[in-house]
Amino acid sequence: MAVEKNYGNPELESRLKDTNYYTSDSNKDFSDRVRELSGTISHMCFQCGTCTGSCPSAPRSSYRIRKFMRRAVLGLEDEALTDPDLWLCTTCYSCSDRCPRDILPTDVIMAMRNLAFERDIVPRNFLKTVQLIYNTGHGVPNNDVNRAAREKLGLPRDPPTTHSYPEYIEGIQKIIDHYHLKENADRILAEGE
Amino acid sequence: MAENQEPRIGVFICHCGTNIAGSLDVNAVMEYARSLPNVVVADEYQYMCSTPGQNKIIDAEKDYDLTGVVVAACSPRLHEPTFRTATAEGGLNKFRFEMANIRDQNSWVHMHDWEGATEKAKDQVRIAVAKARLLEDLQPKSVPVEHAAMVVGAGVGGMQAALDLANAGIKTYLVEKDPTIGGRMSQLDKTFPTLDCSQCILTPKMVDAGRHPNIILETYTEVENVEGYIGNFDITLRKKARGTRDGAEMVAAGLEGSGCNGCGDCASVCPVIKPNPFEMGMAPRKAIYIYHPQVMPLQYTIDFDACVKCGLCKDICGTEKNAIDLEMTDSLEKVKVGCVILATGYDLIPIEDKTEWGYRRYENVITGLEFERLICASGPTGGHLIRPSDGETPMKVGFVLCAGSRDNTGGVGKPYCSRFCCMYSLKHAHQIMEKIPGAVPYLFYMDIRSFGKMYEEFYYRIQNEGAKFIRGRVAAIEEDPITKNLYVQTEDTLLGRPVNVECNLVVLAAAIQPKPDAERIRQMFGVSKSQDGWYLEAHPKLNPCGTTTAGIFLAGVCQGPKDIPDTVAQAEGAASAASIPIHQGEVQLEPYFAQCVEDLCAGCGMCVPQCPYGALSLIQKDDRQVMTVTEAKCKGCGTCGGFCPGGAIRMQHFTSPQICAQIDSFLLNPLGGEE
Ligand SMILES: Cc1cc2nc3c(=O)[nH]c(=O)nc-3n(C[C@H](O)[C@H](O)[C@H](O)COP(=O)(O)OP(=O)(O)OC[C@H]3O[C@@H](n4cnc5c(N)ncnc54)[C@H](O)[C@@H]3O)c2cc1C
Ligand code: SF4
Ligand code: SF4
Ligand code: SF4
Ligand code: SF4
Repeated sequence: MAVEKNYGNPELESRLKDTNYYTSDSNKDFSDRVRELSGTISHMCFQCGTCTGSCPSAPRSSYRIRKFMRRAVLGLEDEALTDPDLWLCTTCYSCSDRCPRDILPTDVIMAMRNLAFERDIVPRNFLKTVQLIYNTGHGVPNNDVNRAAREKLGLPRDPPTTHSYPEYIEGIQKIIDHYHLKENADRILAEGE
Repeated sequence: MAENQEPRIGVFICHCGTNIAGSLDVNAVMEYARSLPNVVVADEYQYMCSTPGQNKIIDAEKDYDLTGVVVAACSPRLHEPTFRTATAEGGLNKFRFEMANIRDQNSWVHMHDWEGATEKAKDQVRIAVAKARLLEDLQPKSVPVEHAAMVVGAGVGGMQAALDLANAGIKTYLVEKDPTIGGRMSQLDKTFPTLDCSQCILTPKMVDAGRHPNIILETYTEVENVEGYIGNFDITLRKKARGTRDGAEMVAAGLEGSGCNGCGDCASVCPVIKPNPFEMGMAPRKAIYIYHPQVMPLQYTIDFDACVKCGLCKDICGTEKNAIDLEMTDSLEKVKVGCVILATGYDLIPIEDKTEWGYRRYENVITGLEFERLICASGPTGGHLIRPSDGETPMKVGFVLCAGSRDNTGGVGKPYCSRFCCMYSLKHAHQIMEKIPGAVPYLFYMDIRSFGKMYEEFYYRIQNEGAKFIRGRVAAIEEDPITKNLYVQTEDTLLGRPVNVECNLVVLAAAIQPKPDAERIRQMFGVSKSQDGWYLEAHPKLNPCGTTTAGIFLAGVCQGPKDIPDTVAQAEGAASAASIPIHQGEVQLEPYFAQCVEDLCAGCGMCVPQCPYGALSLIQKDDRQVMTVTEAKCKGCGTCGGFCPGGAIRMQHFTSPQICAQIDSFLLNPLGGEE
């Protein structure tokens, strides 16, 4: 844990903040839980960077999958779960295809997202997506621009999904209700208002 | 010791420091041993392998008139020879010793189970005592050793081993499957960290090996069959049809003519053009060829798969030399040697299977070995490093380290470190900066492993010369289809930023693997392999040149990745180890061989094909057939003993009564096994 100096001056305090890593910053249970949930050997990462080098998200963002792997190794729970970059993975699995240690970094990210959700740490747009799926069966519902484009291509205005078969929305809702996903999404969004 | 005397057993429990005593109750085990039948003395000691520990055995043998000794300690692999020697010093036959492995198989595996480990140690001691009661005197056999050796593979490792053996006065067959000796080292341009010209330091060795009176060079030759055992290996060699004869072969064949003198007239007229594998296929050769000007022996070889038998070469070679024989066929030769050294080297992995790096897909992605040929003054470009796509001089060259090494993904990935790629990539970086003013090498690395003498200093020097090091394993390489330049993608893990470096040429430091033929050779010589297919040494620390097959030794990369200094050092070790039995003139064999109890043998011969080592045969004896064991070939595996329907085969030191007694004693409730 960072050592408090306490000069009685918050600005000075923040500039002189101890940035050492102390082993007490680590929570071993976090590594274990990530391993358990992801089903992959995140603690075997040797930081080669192949994952970040493969990641389509990395060149356009501050997201570095390798850093999340490091946090998994060290058990840096707060650092991992509060980092908004956790949500920048596109789950394309490029990193998992190439990791020379045969780790599935994508699944590590997924595990961390689950753990973050346990602590109500989820970006609002993800929660709104939950609501959209609940209500329409789509993360991105069809709109008029799309419909026009589809028509032009000779396709039916709506795809053969819940847009064409709204009677199946109920089934989707059952699944989401089972996990209390919508309920939690609604709650977290409301608390954030 | 008198026959039929009641057995008198001494038991000694070792603490092995806290290795054993820290995990189980040594005193309780000792007390328990005292309660066992026929145990007349039980003792314990800190380190049984120490001199005072061994003296305990020697003294007890005398004081208690022992018939058998049991030591409960580490493992027979480590100290059986020690305690056998002590047993013999005390006056008993050394095979009257039995070991209970209460460390490796007990305290180390049950470190946190005091009660359980103590009980298991008691079981182990009881079982060992049960066997010790039935031990008998055995005499080791000795067999004569042929005063000759064979080295398979004539790279730098094989050549060094052969030269050492030959200089020690041993006739040595140096067998090489290619038309010339030299191996991979002759393909290299310079060698790290001294930057000697590789061929310059190698050719003197090649010449020495070629001229040495004790070395019989068998190039373009493969091992066809192996029979026998240490001291007496009967090896059949296949001399592949070379299509030419040298002077000596002319005489031997009773032909007129002086034989091939390497003039090369034949190749100049040969109409068939093929890629030269020595130049990694980047230069042509004819159907009749030599790899390079310094070959040893300097004799042309015909590639009969390519040859169209036009006869032009034969005509130009002329009757005076008369060296060419277009009808030549393979011939077999049998030789007898006492010991064999395997030195079959390595290949690069098929790095094209890692498709993300684009080898064979993008023209300007090459391997380290191709780089060696392209930068070499005697190589296909006369030492001008050029891009394969357009012959331009590359100014930015990317070096991809760990290309397939330290990679657990299976298939093409290799979990081990190939051990010389870091160093040769540093060397390559230096070479381009030296030859191409302004050229910049980019080394993409995970770690630079510069572990040898003067290696770290070499790294320092290359860094100082201006090479750029980017810490990150290359994720992918993409080609610009117009410029044929390459974009090397990775994360600079030290900056924590993805990088995308445009290079004109990329060199992959591809992982290495055993030769495709290694498996066949290994099986013929009865050598084990490690998980990755490298030949397995007898002990990684204490016997790194030997194998578990007596008389077979290892040198060079065939045993695992290593650079030239390590290869040469191991070759010298292997040659020294192999020369010991040869100079001794005879070897002792453990008397663990099977014996035929002729009274019980029905002569059915069914055991003969069961033996994996061909040690059994039927002989005629007093009007009937009985089985006989060639003791030197028998490895004591027991296959025959377990198989014989008449119970006529007796396994020395592992007799049925001994094994039954062990089982009975484990079950505590004697089942009354057959005697
Ligand atoms: C690109 C590159 C650069 C390198 N640069 C350096 C350097 O600068 N310095 C350094 O110290 N090391 C360097 N090395 C490593 C070096 O090549 C090896 O350490 C060395 O060649 C090992 O020698 P060897 O005799 O064990 O094997 P090899 O050189 O592979 O020789 C094995 C020989 O056995 C023969 N053979 C194989 N199978 C059979 C068979 N069944 N029957 C008969 N013969 C057989 C082969 O034809 C070959 O002639 C480099 C390696 C590479 C790939
Ligand atoms: S590719 Fe694998 S080993 Fe390399 S940094 Fe990423 S997770 Fe770790
Ligand atoms: S799965 Fe996620 S982290 Fe991995 S490469 Fe794709 S976007 Fe990047
Ligand atoms: S006979 Fe064969 S080796 Fe000789 S010149 Fe013709 S093709 Fe070449
Ligand atoms: S014990 Fe094994 S090696 Fe010996 S003769 Fe029997 S089967 Fe062959």
